Amino acid sequence: MSEDLIIGIAGSGGDGVISAGESLLTAAALEGYHGIMTKSFGSQIRGGEAMCRLRLSTQPVLNPNGPLDVAVALNWDDFRRFGWELPVDATTMVIYESNTGVAPDNLPLEGVTPTTVFSVPITEMAVKNAGTDKAKNIVVVGLLAGWFGIGRESMLAGIRKKFAKKGATVVEGNVRAFQAGLEYAEAHPLGEDRKLSTPQGNRTAKLLTDGNEMCAAAAIFAGCTFFGGYPITPSTEIMQFLDREIWKYGGTVLQAEDEIAGIGAVVGASFAGKKAMTATSGPGMSLKTEMLGLASIAELPLVCVNVQRGGPSTGMPTKAEQSDLFQAVFSAHGDCLRPVLGPTSVADMFAMTVEAFNLAEYYQTPVILLSDQEISQRKETVEPIDVSKFTIVDRRRPTEAELVKYNRFKLTESGISPISQPGMLGGNYLAAGIEHNEMGRPTASGEMHARMNEKRFRKFAPLKNRRDLFVVEGENDAPIGLVSWGSVAGVAREALRLAEAEGLHAKLLVPKLLYPIAEQVYQDFFASVERGLFIEQSHQGQLCRLVRMFVDLPPLIKPLAKSGSNPIQPTEVLAMIRQMAAALQGSRTQSIGEPFTE
Amino acid sequence: MQTLEQILPVKFQAGDFKSDLKPIWCPGCGDFGVVTAITRALAAIGRPAHEIAFVSGIGCSSRIPGYTTAYGFNTVHGRSLPIAQGIKLANPELLVLVASGDGDGFSIGGGHVAHVIRRNIDLTYIVMDNQIYGLTKGQLSPTSQRGRKTATSTFGSLEEPVNPLLYVMGYGASFVAQGTPADMAGLARIIEEGIRFPGFAFINVQSPCVTYGEEDQQLKAHKTKMQNLQTLGHDVTDRAAATERAREYGAKLYTGILYRNPNPPSTYGEGVTLRQETLKKSAVPRHEILNRFLPSH
Repeated sequence: MSEDLIIGIAGSGGDGVISAGESLLTAAALEGYHGIMTKSFGSQIRGGEAMCRLRLSTQPVLNPNGPLDVAVALNWDDFRRFGWELPVDATTMVIYESNTGVAPDNLPLEGVTPTTVFSVPITEMAVKNAGTDKAKNIVVVGLLAGWFGIGRESMLAGIRKKFAKKGATVVEGNVRAFQAGLEYAEAHPLGEDRKLSTPQGNRTAKLLTDGNEMCAAAAIFAGCTFFGGYPITPSTEIMQFLDREIWKYGGTVLQAEDEIAGIGAVVGASFAGKKAMTATSGPGMSLKTEMLGLASIAELPLVCVNVQRGGPSTGMPTKAEQSDLFQAVFSAHGDCLRPVLGPTSVADMFAMTVEAFNLAEYYQTPVILLSDQEISQRKETVEPIDVSKFTIVDRRRPTEAELVKYNRFKLTESGISPISQPGMLGGNYLAAGIEHNEMGRPTASGEMHARMNEKRFRKFAPLKNRRDLFVVEGENDAPIGLVSWGSVAGVAREALRLAEAEGLHAKLLVPKLLYPIAEQVYQDFFASVERGLFIEQSHQGQLCRLVRMFVDLPPLIKPLAKSGSNPIQPTEVLAMIRQMAAALQGSRTQSIGEPFTE
Repeated sequence: MQTLEQILPVKFQAGDFKSDLKPIWCPGCGDFGVVTAITRALAAIGRPAHEIAFVSGIGCSSRIPGYTTAYGFNTVHGRSLPIAQGIKLANPELLVLVASGDGDGFSIGGGHVAHVIRRNIDLTYIVMDNQIYGLTKGQLSPTSQRGRKTATSTFGSLEEPVNPLLYVMGYGASFVAQGTPADMAGLARIIEEGIRFPGFAFINVQSPCVTYGEEDQQLKAHKTKMQNLQTLGHDVTDRAAATERAREYGAKLYTGILYRNPNPPSTYGEGVTLRQETLKKSAVPRHEILNRFLPSH
């Protein structure tokens, strides 16, 4: 029996690959499994290639992981287009559509010869039982449910519900297609070792959603009542969710004419006193930066979500990458600091979104929530979240006494000034992109500019002490240190566990506060570290370079960086940890010890 | 001690809306007249300053919110309309004014105009049109005449100007007017009418640049050139007639209301309020919103 099962399914856009994956994941979640489903597409609107990767486990799942245990190819051309996203090795069980005409011992996979291969007449089974090849995905679900014993009853109920509107004939056809898949699997039993164990212990209902919907729901929980934005892959589901929900809470969604107007309306709504948010991806962020600068100098709270995709420019719209960190940190001109948060999973997206609103309100600043395509579009089982443990922060509004002779940008000890809003008697002031004095009046005084800059930086001082925004795992005095952020942190966590199981001494730092750089946190972490890796999904390894701007790291710390759409796998990180451990013991076999250079 | 409410006057004067901040404008600038007209209009409207949000972009004209006592927001170049829309949608109770110049409103920010019009958000948009970039000291503006020589059109402009009146008529604006500080009473009146109009109102103000403007663009010239539309017997409800008059922008200086839709469409804000009211009852409490992610087939 296995505790962990990774299934990859690929086909053409119309094959229902994603819906098959979602059915399996839903059934698994209802039975108490943990799971993650990622999906990836070609950039075609319809048709083109589509795939999903499903990882189910009896234990919490940290990442989609590497090579597939089971590969399902509805056609080989589409399957092969995903390349490294669907890695197959000799142990992978391969299921494919027999009408592709491919011989089981001659699969079109370079350099691998899987030993367990099933050529299944999927289309024929769909047509025979449901009268249409549209039921191919139902056959696939039946096959997988049969082989791995997941959710037969709940899936049958699901099929009945899904097709109910189409009448009894369609329902029964699809039920037959599902059963045909089951029967095929039963007629071709697998070895015991391939079967998935049943979850033990805590089998309470889990939540099942993706990062974008979690972000939107968390925004509503945090009190967001205004969203302005412009559709852009892979962030659009945030706007779509809010467009269905936010009105119910007295809120508004404005689909603006462009990215600038989207965040512009958010700046306006924040000025008017509302908690407001926008969401975009890299190309949109490029356009939004002027408003980020305005909100920084006018000290207006807002949350700007960047769901990163491959860049630069249009780049790779449907693929995950972590290459917008520099942009987030250095967005907009002038001396400025904007907090940047990096959620590490769908579950974490809730806490980070609430945190983003809290920081924005407390520090009266734009906060950038740096998500990525994987987190945003992957579906994940989430343990129930006790929302009563979360505090909701509101901006510091002026007292009655402070309104008598009101100074909007009062130079307070904390650097945080009471903020009024239109409608508040006595709070009238001029907000501006131009430098201003304490009253908000325009100034060209160098002295006042220096004092205001100092205030706008000073107010963030407490943020660097937020150790709760950093996760440290592993042995405190380990000589090997890993740092990872965002969705890739789940890969690093799993690699650390694998390394620990081998008795290797390593630890991991996951910063969720990506900026400002909390120097002390990094210094403390690296105190014991002789060799280390920053594990990042980008060509440059941006966090590694950014941290070096602020912290003197030991020389043998370098990035393990890969461009987007080439997933980093836990075993790959483990191999690097082994090499570092070997080098530390003086028995190095391969050179990985060159100091970090540009 | 008096409460803040007790300090509020019962009846407002224009002076109640003028701040003590000294304008940066050149002596004789048309914008002095515009701020006076706006404060007169606000006094006539009678809403207290703290219920007014006055938004602008960048340019000489965009300094104007600071010269009033309203809540001001002197934003970035060309973006006053998106920000003003956010304010109005976030708090529909506010009176929201937007000020801009020809460059701010029809060049760098021109793309936003079409969309605020088609949304019909209840704002009053006042563009101070002087056919030149004054703040940056005399460059070509989108409303400069073809052939005009400026600091960036040394040998004369090679392009046709934008026609602001025709532009907004073309996108279906329901309230379009033009004024000049040469007719202060008329200007204050159309601004007041624009504010009272239930929906998006556009007011083009021919506001001369005394430093970089040309002789025939000054207030003195306006006094002889301007033609009051009411005196001309213009029917403000006649869209076709208004469009014809709008075509004469540049050649003639019409003042007054060019077009007022007799059956104005509902505003975006009304739609928002209705939707919020309708959907309110189906809201789950915020702390239960995650329950929607409980899996089910």
